[in-house]
Amino acid sequence: MTENILELHGISRTYSTRQGLFGRKVPVHAVDEVSLSLQPGQTLALVGESGSGKSTTGRIALGLELPNSGHVLFRGAELPPAHTSAWRRMRTHMQMIYQDPLAVLDRRLSILDQVREPLDIHDIGSASERNNKALAMLDAVGLNANYASSLPHQLSGGQRQRAVLARALIMQPALLVCDEPVSALDVSIQAQVVNLLMDLQKDLRLSLLFISHDLKVVRQVSQRIAVMYLGRIVEYGETNLLLSNPTHPYTKALVSAVPVAGRRTRERIILKGEPPNPADRPTGCAFHPRCPVVRPECVSVSPTFSTLPDGRSVACHAVDAAQPTKEVGI
Amino acid sequence: MIMMEKVSETAAGTRKNTNRRIPFLVIASVLWIVFVVGVALLADQIAPYQYTALDLPNRLASPFHPQHLLGTDELGRDILSRLIVSVRISVLVALGATLISACFGTTMGFAAAHFRGRIEQFILMLADFQAAMPFLILSLSVLAFFGNALPLFIGLMGFYGWERYARISRGLAISASAQGYAGAVRQLGASPTRVYLRHILPNISSTLIVSMTLTFPEIILMESSLSFLGLGVQPPLTSLGNMVGYGREYMTRAPWIMFAPAVLIVTTTLAISLLGDWLRDRLDKGLQ
Amino acid sequence: MLRFAAIRILRAVLTIALVVTFAFLVLRLSGDPARSIMGDDASPEAMAAFRREWGLDQPLWAQYLHYFAAILHGELGRSMRGGGPALDLVLGRIPATLMLTLPALLMKLAIGIPAGIYAALHRDSAIDRAVMVTAVAGYTVPSFVLGLVLVQVLAIWFAWLPTGGTGSLQHLILPIITLGVGGAAVLARFVRSAMLEVLGQPYIRTASAKGIPWAAVVRGHALPNAAIPTVTIVGFMVGNLIAGAVVVESVFSWPGLGNLLVVSVTARDLAVVQCILLLVAVAMVLSNLIVDFLYGFLDPRLAEANSTGGH
Repeated sequence: MTENILELHGISRTYSTRQGLFGRKVPVHAVDEVSLSLQPGQTLALVGESGSGKSTTGRIALGLELPNSGHVLFRGAELPPAHTSAWRRMRTHMQMIYQDPLAVLDRRLSILDQVREPLDIHDIGSASERNNKALAMLDAVGLNANYASSLPHQLSGGQRQRAVLARALIMQPALLVCDEPVSALDVSIQAQVVNLLMDLQKDLRLSLLFISHDLKVVRQVSQRIAVMYLGRIVEYGETNLLLSNPTHPYTKALVSAVPVAGRRTRERIILKGEPPNPADRPTGCAFHPRCPVVRPECVSVSPTFSTLPDGRSVACHAVDAAQPTKEVGI
Repeated sequence: MIMMEKVSETAAGTRKNTNRRIPFLVIASVLWIVFVVGVALLADQIAPYQYTALDLPNRLASPFHPQHLLGTDELGRDILSRLIVSVRISVLVALGATLISACFGTTMGFAAAHFRGRIEQFILMLADFQAAMPFLILSLSVLAFFGNALPLFIGLMGFYGWERYARISRGLAISASAQGYAGAVRQLGASPTRVYLRHILPNISSTLIVSMTLTFPEIILMESSLSFLGLGVQPPLTSLGNMVGYGREYMTRAPWIMFAPAVLIVTTTLAISLLGDWLRDRLDKGLQ
Repeated sequence: MLRFAAIRILRAVLTIALVVTFAFLVLRLSGDPARSIMGDDASPEAMAAFRREWGLDQPLWAQYLHYFAAILHGELGRSMRGGGPALDLVLGRIPATLMLTLPALLMKLAIGIPAGIYAALHRDSAIDRAVMVTAVAGYTVPSFVLGLVLVQVLAIWFAWLPTGGTGSLQHLILPIITLGVGGAAVLARFVRSAMLEVLGQPYIRTASAKGIPWAAVVRGHALPNAAIPTVTIVGFMVGNLIAGAVVVESVFSWPGLGNLLVVSVTARDLAVVQCILLLVAVAMVLSNLIVDFLYGFLDPRLAEANSTGGH
């Protein structure tokens, strides 16, 4: 087994919203004691609803935000403090693509200028080399030279995401964090972008941290999945196992909500109660107000991880008590 | 995504529509502004006399006098020449002050957006303070303590309205950094200078320029009010407000001394305000 | 709500402290106070004595504290021209200024608010256009030009009214009109855009779609919501009651606070200028405070959001 390219150890991140100079602080636990690891060339998917802290985890993994506790190891070393020059140099090794490609592109600069910009920033190569490299990268993501001088709003959504991908990959990073990269795209275009991403991953030996709420896409791209709920990981393990035989009641509900061709009669677990609010976190197991198999201890005691025989980790009192037998599957 | 493209299509459509017809008043305003700026630039070439030249035989001559188109003042100085030089000084003060205010305000806004926390709160407090205090009173107190020289006066006027640029640039920079292009570029490893000057500033420049066209006439009014009170531009220099304040003493005998600069102040501020309003409406439509 | 009030009051006090600091800094930066007050030809011994008497030989922070303490005790120095306490001189001028600014404020409200509402409800009508054109004109014509034109026409050509000075109710008419017209135009424009903003909201469409008569929708939903932003600008006008007449008082030689300010600035009567500056700041801060509380009253969500810290 090779060394992990990225490791998160016990990451917590608390925001305190505060109003004015003397306002009262209201703490919000966005991420709570999250530990993950990612092997080179592999894809780890982070799955959860909005507000589950998956995007914050991604930003912490990149060093864009500092965790309040815990630490991040990239190739075995801690990340330099954010926005220092060492941190800026680190950007050539780790990059990110986003949900809304139009928002993250500068509307006034041509696609070529923006794809070339990382080379300008890090002063790599001569001016003509940069242009050639940028054109080659555009070609690699399937945008031909005709689009090089276009402005972002002249492209379609899928093309914009390709441009953002080209900009992120031009420095040949080892790690790419994808924050809901296809959820804003048309379904037909989603598949193209996902396939492109997987091809490039093979060619460039990229490691991906893939953040998504879409289990169909996640099944296609990832080897491992971590399911998050209100800032905590509730289930973590290999993609096949987790999707074919989910053990945590929340994972079960997520998996059952994915429509499957062919099978008509499948029990769909509908979650009751309010959608989760990170600012008002329930006691004990955060999932207990919506859990179909809630037990008395769930209200007060936060469950710890237990490792199943197949290598998965699950944080649930009900799983500790009885191993699941019922298969739901996709 | 399809929906988004439709939205941008319709936005482009409305932009085309507004392009097609520019209101007559806006065209007239632009022509007038070009004329005034031209006069300010060419003041030395087009003024028929030295603005301080005396023509004692023709004191308080009425307009349409054969030698003095707009008449003369009580020392026989040519009103038209004085008016032309006044335009130059007033435009210089207002332009200098607008630029200072825009640069200072934008820098403060960027600083607030970049450092956040206590620095941001402090800058916002200064902005609130500036917005709450009547500027005329603040500048009068400064003038009382420091006396008056043209560079100091321009610098003082340069504080007018800085808080608006600060608020605009802070808000836009924060939203560009949070989920937008600026945050993405910073994530690529760009230095703050690059993020603010190459990306944020060009993107918000149209909004800042609209604010400048809205502040510019207010600065002209502020300058002319102070000069009217005798506390702005000092003789022997002359400005539009200065001429009005001066001509007021001859109101009964020679009202033209006062009315010529007054008309110029009103028409110029009106033209710039109309242009600014129109630009702002257009920009709002373009943003939606 | 109590917390909201406490934060607002604290901020108000801070703003006043900021003005005092501003006055102190400007005073110290403007040169040697001993020289500027005693004059250039004072003997060195006299200067030293003056410095000792006023604590000018102490470090700057000590001077700052002394200055602050003196202001807290209401000691704002003596007028250099008149010799009396600056505060008495300044307070004595307030009634004259209020005689102009209060009626002018009423005029602004009485014309500006109905005109703005009417223009918004009859958008693009002839009256709307007239209101907008007048508003732009009222905003671009400086008060001294308007005042002088009124003097020229009504006082000099027709000789209906006095050109300036005091003595009778007729003396009040021109200054009040000069002050009121511009403000009314600005207010009308502001009310109009506030109303249009509210009328464009979905809840207005919902209310009228439910079949509520239009007049009731306007009275019950549009007006109260448009009142919220309007309160801000009216608050600013109230805060300006003391200082809003500087230029107009000069035009009409009206013996109010503004006139005193201009004369004192010309004569460099620093104590009086500083006293007026503080007074204006207190007036502005107080009116802002009132506006904040009115806001909390008109829109409870704002007070709630401000005191609990959410956005």
